[in-house]
Amino acid sequence: MSLREGAQPGGTTRWALSANAWLVFGFFYLPIVLLVALSFNDNRMVGVWGGASLRWYREMLGNASVIASLQNSLVVAGISTVLSTVLGTATAIALERFRFRGRAAFDGLVYLPVIIPDVTMAVMMLLFFARAFAMVYEATGTTLHLGITTITLSHIAFNISFVAIVVRARLAGLDPALEEAAADLYADRRKTFRHVTLPLIMPGILGGALLALTLSLDDVVITSFVAGPGSTTLPVYVFGLVRRGVTPLINAVSTVMLAASMLLVLFSLLVQRRSQ
Amino acid sequence: MNAPDVATTSAPPRQGQAGSSPAVELVGVTKRFDDVIAVDNVNLRINDGEFFSLLGPSGCGKTTTLRMIAGLEFPTHGSIRIHDEQMSLRPPNKRPVNTVFQSYALFPHMSVRDNIAFGLQMKKVDRHTIGSRVTEAVQLVRLGGMEHRRPKQLSGGQQQRVALARALVNHPQVLLLDEPLGALDLKLRKAMQLELKELQERVGITFVYVTHDQEEALTMSDRIGVMDDGRLLQVGTPEEIYERPATRMVADFIGETNFLPIVVTELDRARIEGGQEIIIGGDGTPGTKTTLTIRPEKMRITAPREPVPEGDNQLLGTLHRRVYLGNALALEVTAGAVRLRVRQGSAAQVHRFRDGDEVAVLWSPADAAVLED
Repeated sequence: MSLREGAQPGGTTRWALSANAWLVFGFFYLPIVLLVALSFNDNRMVGVWGGASLRWYREMLGNASVIASLQNSLVVAGISTVLSTVLGTATAIALERFRFRGRAAFDGLVYLPVIIPDVTMAVMMLLFFARAFAMVYEATGTTLHLGITTITLSHIAFNISFVAIVVRARLAGLDPALEEAAADLYADRRKTFRHVTLPLIMPGILGGALLALTLSLDDVVITSFVAGPGSTTLPVYVFGLVRRGVTPLINAVSTVMLAASMLLVLFSLLVQRRSQ
Repeated sequence: MNAPDVATTSAPPRQGQAGSSPAVELVGVTKRFDDVIAVDNVNLRINDGEFFSLLGPSGCGKTTTLRMIAGLEFPTHGSIRIHDEQMSLRPPNKRPVNTVFQSYALFPHMSVRDNIAFGLQMKKVDRHTIGSRVTEAVQLVRLGGMEHRRPKQLSGGQQQRVALARALVNHPQVLLLDEPLGALDLKLRKAMQLELKELQERVGITFVYVTHDQEEALTMSDRIGVMDDGRLLQVGTPEEIYERPATRMVADFIGETNFLPIVVTELDRARIEGGQEIIIGGDGTPGTKTTLTIRPEKMRITAPREPVPEGDNQLLGTLHRRVYLGNALALEVTAGAVRLRVRQGSAAQVHRFRDGDEVAVLWSPADAAVLED
């Protein structure tokens, strides 16, 4: 009995630990609760409670700019997620399964976008597009503009690395004997990949895709640099609104984005549980 | 010879028959990984229908040899033939062999049934045939009722059976097994040894079995190849390997033994270094310095004045230590510069001796082997 009590923290420690837990929870969740609550506030003044209503949600749905930027966000996130998942998975497989010239260098460089600060990445992309557009103009006389395509390309560029990291972790944990067993059982490389490797790394691929989707939907810095006039994504639009002063509309939009993110995470957890 | 390509037909396995081509033939096979020679010029013929074990300590090259037969590694030099067909650089999916992996390598996302059916599906065997062959294989390894489970839901022994069934269902010409019992506990291991041997006799397929467990190899094999440091040291039946080891490593690796440094004096005589003359069993080359090996259980302990049977060797020494083993007695006798380990089955014979007593150690020259190195 006394042995058991000995394993429990003493009075002061216990008190400090639970206080810490409450503090952490407070930091995490109070702002969220505040945001969600205020999004239902029927008052123009953000800080003053004027009764519950769905007024700002109605206003959000009626706001053409919000809907347009949401559409942009979904298009950019959808396309960039699909492409970066395919490219990132291919990268992971190349690095994990094959030996080729320059592999070590490629291995190091592929993670660069993860380390590079967002602002640097944004400036890089902007410079790159400006230079590329100039060259295209000189060569063909066509004038290209920043817009939804450049946003999508930039998102693909940084998402490949994240997908590659997640998929590669999964591949590295795979017993190489599984692929050998498939080959031993008459499967050629293509069939081995389709019937053994792919299904087994699928949770990693889905995880990587969800990460890419989230990062793409969240991105403000890079997007705001490479976005052209009229091609704003939702987070960039929200950021712009904030600079003109916080309105309860932002609370509603943010709450919707929060709900969407949580649904994505929930979905990814479900997918992972099912695959186990 | 036009051996049928099992990758495209579903012919039943060939039965072992006299005069048929060797199931596996390795000629001058060498495998080099960067600057490490994993397998060094191995020549080996494995007969059709034989249970052949490759035995050696870890890192001796036995698994690499097996993987080269499977096609999972390609030899740096030399050729590998299976039933007279050249295999050396053929990819694993085009070889008439199947492998039971050490980790079993069962596909975790497939049911037991789908695991077993995988090879036949890849070979595009028709659905009906797959169904009946899988059922047959499931019964062969006694896994009835488990078909719809995932590998994770099975015990180690059951997983092992699935791996066996998944390989055997394809009727390979040769079944390769890479320490398949390594992950099982001792009791299950013993049971599986007998079961594997029985299974091999029933299906009549050539088994090539890699193990580091000498007892396992002795129990199950028709013949054993002992490897060390990439080289194949000796090939023979369990009796030959145990009774007449060719090299010191083989003698040492298989069971317990004594080594006596000797100088051959005549065809059948030798002198223990710094000691007396003894009779050796065979065709020694006079003048060579070599080693005589004799198993502890092949020697007897008597009183020094007891008569020595005609033709036997006798060494006089001091009883150094006795250890009671239950079914036997292990004794150490110091005779001159050598220390001999002797094992006596019937304890009553030697109970009268005490530590420090003068004793005689006797053995028949036929029971000792002169080593090549």
